[in-house]
Amino acid sequence: MFDFIKDPSLYTLVRGPLVWIAFLVFFAASIYKIRRMYIMARNEKVVLPSIRGEAAWKSILHWIVPFGSRNWRMRWPVTITTFVFHIGLVFTPIFLLSHNILWYESWGISWWSLPENIADIMTLLVIVTSVIFLLRRIFAPDVRFVTSSDDFLILAISFFPFLTGFLSYHEWLLPGKAMIILHMLFGEAMLIAIPFTRLAHMFYFFMTRAFMGSQTAGWGGKDW
Amino acid sequence: MAAKEKVVSREFPEYIRDPNPDVGLDESIKDLKPEQIEKTIMAVLGAHTARIRAVEETCIHCALCSEACQWYLSSDKDPTFAPVAKMRMTVWEMLKRKGKVDAEFIKQTARIVFTECNICHRCSMYCPYGLDVTFIIGLVRRVCYVLGVVPQRMMDQDHSHATTLNQVWYTQNDWVDTMQWQEEEVGAEFKDLRIPIDKEGAEVLWFPLGGEPKTNTYHIERTAKIMMAAGIDWTVAGRDVWDTSNMPMFLRDFTTMNRIVRGMYDNAARLRVKKMVLTE
Repeated sequence: MFDFIKDPSLYTLVRGPLVWIAFLVFFAASIYKIRRMYIMARNEKVVLPSIRGEAAWKSILHWIVPFGSRNWRMRWPVTITTFVFHIGLVFTPIFLLSHNILWYESWGISWWSLPENIADIMTLLVIVTSVIFLLRRIFAPDVRFVTSSDDFLILAISFFPFLTGFLSYHEWLLPGKAMIILHMLFGEAMLIAIPFTRLAHMFYFFMTRAFMGSQTAGWGGKDW
Repeated sequence: MAAKEKVVSREFPEYIRDPNPDVGLDESIKDLKPEQIEKTIMAVLGAHTARIRAVEETCIHCALCSEACQWYLSSDKDPTFAPVAKMRMTVWEMLKRKGKVDAEFIKQTARIVFTECNICHRCSMYCPYGLDVTFIIGLVRRVCYVLGVVPQRMMDQDHSHATTLNQVWYTQNDWVDTMQWQEEEVGAEFKDLRIPIDKEGAEVLWFPLGGEPKTNTYHIERTAKIMMAAGIDWTVAGRDVWDTSNMPMFLRDFTTMNRIVRGMYDNAARLRVKKMVLTE
């Protein structure tokens, strides 16, 4: 933040104020969205009383674990792609060494970080699985029929931070700093986009699963 | 013989079907006014309720629900039969256009939600997010029902329920008479067999489906024999509601749905029975 005031440049902008804005917007809007959904559910009167804790957790667990549900087992190529994609998407940014160094430089905090070569492979896997998702959108008839432009947009939003991150780590295509600036911009765009696009399934997943898990338990069945 | 003419959707060229003439769909759309359609759609689907918004804001269009659907599987995996496709062709399009759709679109919607979905909830069990697709399709059915665009046979059953509280246009006399007739009929085989009507304090109150006294009367007789053989203290309701086939539920006609369920519980409370046994 202070670096930007001392030396205003594109790099210090994306490194300072924009990071703050992105994180603030991400957390504030996410909390707002979750709260809004909760209030709507409460006002609907039938939703919250139907929630059964045990069934809800079982439903979440069975679907968050690879091959934990019938459909994950039936559609195993999609399952592998999905889990590789999401594990890379969530854990690489949090446990990347370079990100850890940035936390440390800014706030003096750091935590466990991934070995660099593993993080590199995970990033590459996110890129590859994104392309698989893209191909699936284009070539699988049932997916293509329901695909609209915003589906490509949210795929791009989650794809570019990883592509630019990968390229900047290897210092390919663009000179070091330019690619890092691009990477930071895409990363900040993604953080801001999560609560406002259907990427919000990041937190809605737990709410919708809890509801359907409870509902099916109420019918005497299970939804995994 | 010339190839049969097909119905092709204006909005979705992939949606190709055989013609399916139905007075309930073809005639009822003729008096629909655009503002009426818009108002109805926004009243039913525009509401800010968690169960609608959660589906709308979460569904990632992955089509993992498609193989849950028996319509999809039995139609050579035609993508227009996938559950998510049915949402796309009906509710998303309605919301995208803020309810400004024409009567022809409502007819197509009614065809999709009434004749190409069984409201079975399987897709919700295959959805990675557990989204309640069936609930949404049910609400679209409600839009069509409120607009009066419903396949004729379904609408007729709903009218029957609304008027007589059973599916088959039976009056209360018809019902009691059928019970007594069946008791008489079976008397030739079993001397002591009774079909007790309105017996207070019985253990079991049995509710048939409307079709049983109307077209399958032997079901009544057989149920009576089973109850006798099992030695169960049972009875049937002499007043409405005695029919459990809640057809208005399939149209999401909330008022009549409510009257039927309430009526059944009222009967059980009036007769102070311990159990309600329903035909399924």
